[in-house]
Amino acid sequence: MKKQGRGMASIMFGFGYGEGFPDHSIAEVEITKDKRIKVRTAGADLGQGFLTTMTQIAAEVLKIDPSYIEIVGQDTHKAKNSGSTSATRQTFFSGNAVREAAEEVMGKIYHYGSLYFNSNHPELTVKDGELYACDECEKITYWELAEIVEQRGKELKAEATFFPKTYAPDRKTGQGEKIYVAYTFMTQVMDIEVDTDTGLIEVMNVYTALDVGRAINPQNVHGQIEGGTVQGLGMAMMEDQVIEEGITINADMTNYLVPSIQDIPNFESTLIENNDSGGPFGSKGVGEPTIIGASPALSNAVYDAIGVRIKSLPITPEKILNALEEKK
Amino acid sequence: MKKQSINVKNKLGTSGKDSDKYFRPESKEELKKILEDYTDELTVIAGGTDLLVANYKNLYKIEKWLDLNWLDSFKEIKIFDDKVEIGSMVTHERLDKLDQIKEHFPVIQKAAADVGSPQIRSRGTIGGNIVTSSPAGDLLPTLLVYDAKLKIISKDGERIVDANDFFTGPKQNVLGDGELVEKIILPLEENKSKGAWVKVGKRKALVISSISLALNLVFDNDNKIKDARICVGSAAPVPLRIEKAEQSLKNKKIKKVNIAEIAQIVSDEISPIDDIRGTAEYRRKVAYNITKSALQEVINQ
Repeated sequence: MKKQGRGMASIMFGFGYGEGFPDHSIAEVEITKDKRIKVRTAGADLGQGFLTTMTQIAAEVLKIDPSYIEIVGQDTHKAKNSGSTSATRQTFFSGNAVREAAEEVMGKIYHYGSLYFNSNHPELTVKDGELYACDECEKITYWELAEIVEQRGKELKAEATFFPKTYAPDRKTGQGEKIYVAYTFMTQVMDIEVDTDTGLIEVMNVYTALDVGRAINPQNVHGQIEGGTVQGLGMAMMEDQVIEEGITINADMTNYLVPSIQDIPNFESTLIENNDSGGPFGSKGVGEPTIIGASPALSNAVYDAIGVRIKSLPITPEKILNALEEKK
Repeated sequence: MKKQSINVKNKLGTSGKDSDKYFRPESKEELKKILEDYTDELTVIAGGTDLLVANYKNLYKIEKWLDLNWLDSFKEIKIFDDKVEIGSMVTHERLDKLDQIKEHFPVIQKAAADVGSPQIRSRGTIGGNIVTSSPAGDLLPTLLVYDAKLKIISKDGERIVDANDFFTGPKQNVLGDGELVEKIILPLEENKSKGAWVKVGKRKALVISSISLALNLVFDNDNKIKDARICVGSAAPVPLRIEKAEQSLKNKKIKKVNIAEIAQIVSDEISPIDDIRGTAEYRRKVAYNITKSALQEVINQ
């Protein structure tokens, strides 16, 4: 028999290393004569969209089409430290460093532009990689300006470091001034079906509301929600390291199961964008927060479906059948 | 003296001596010659979905390969008045997609659709599934409920073996050195039959079954069960026919069958073990439940 259930979980996730750890990112932005804007950062893209996000941030600040942006690095020989791609931190930390470096460069564009036009800053306008002395009048491209600046022995280039201070929580109370740079919030509701013949769970629908501050790239954020939740469902339903006499007996992808494409539920997600964090454009990290709601939401849905609380992960078919039997 | 059995065509595009160890006959005559020359030295490859995984780290140790992929006659499906012959090199993909299989042997079609992933179904073969002889082989219970016979060939001739007598233990069977399964012979039933297939695995695709069940009931003209076959996979050293349950189904109208009693017999008769895909206890419970649901499915058909 199939029994339906619905479960909900809400999470908050403090991201970055936090707790007083000297977590930081350094980035450099340079406008070059060959019509490129080079962003140097050592941050690694593991498929989560780091390169896209940094490109968008630099392009947004510098008011230019993203196709001109070139990310150089992913390598500490070519760029300075951007910290690890972990702890849900790159958009916030490296994003802030890129934003600040780009703002420094924008300051230089205005500075050298005003010298070139012999005008005041308020009269200058920037649009699509060009600097105007006033509306519809004299203009100069970033690349031309870079060449002029170079003749002065200077560069349209700047480096910035984002190095926020955090504090360790009190050991007794767990309270603290600012333990993490910001928190991401998420609520998930899951609809499931439990097969009482086999103990198998099918996740039908996942509804997500994610407070991400601001989605730099909404499609990427939806991808993170779906990918993270599926990983979380793997933890909730399948992933199980089986050790016998000190040896892991399922150290391969045939026997250590993660969800297949066939196991993926329908997703419906809403992004809450209050632009309320200290991240670039008010954004917050979205990696790990999307994983941790799956287990509690699923376990609540199981309780709703069959009236039994399963208190260990993964929630295997065996556990479901045993619990159903005990309930009788 | 070294025997010269390698087809010169095989050498095209290869270098070194590797091709000396690789044979790919294109006719039964060529196959017979190779079997005569190298009978006990050959490792047979069909789709490779089991063999290559099992030998992933020591393929170099394989002395001589016999590749059946160029034998077109092994890929044929022939339909006669009273039987269907399926070549051992027919893939799961074809079993899944062919209308004739769906029409005459729906339980085989459903099991073939449940094998692994699209990639595995397009490479893996019915013969490979049989010869690997895993208790979890998805097609095996379905062959047993259709009373399949296997045509086995070797350099010395051929023999026919009941699929039910073929499997002797986990990954063990009656094949001797230099014997190959050439085709699977499935009798065509004159009477109406109804079947069901249940595969239980911990995810929906690319999963080795925790337990599986194939059911086939043949009805006589009075709508009584003339013949009943139930076979359970992944619950004993071999795919296991539950003859006691079959006997108690026979000569009854389906609506008169005590489903719970049959399910209990199936649950009692299997001999499951604890492993990574489920405990013995779990398998007995699920065997009971899926026997009930499979019988119910047939009643509803």
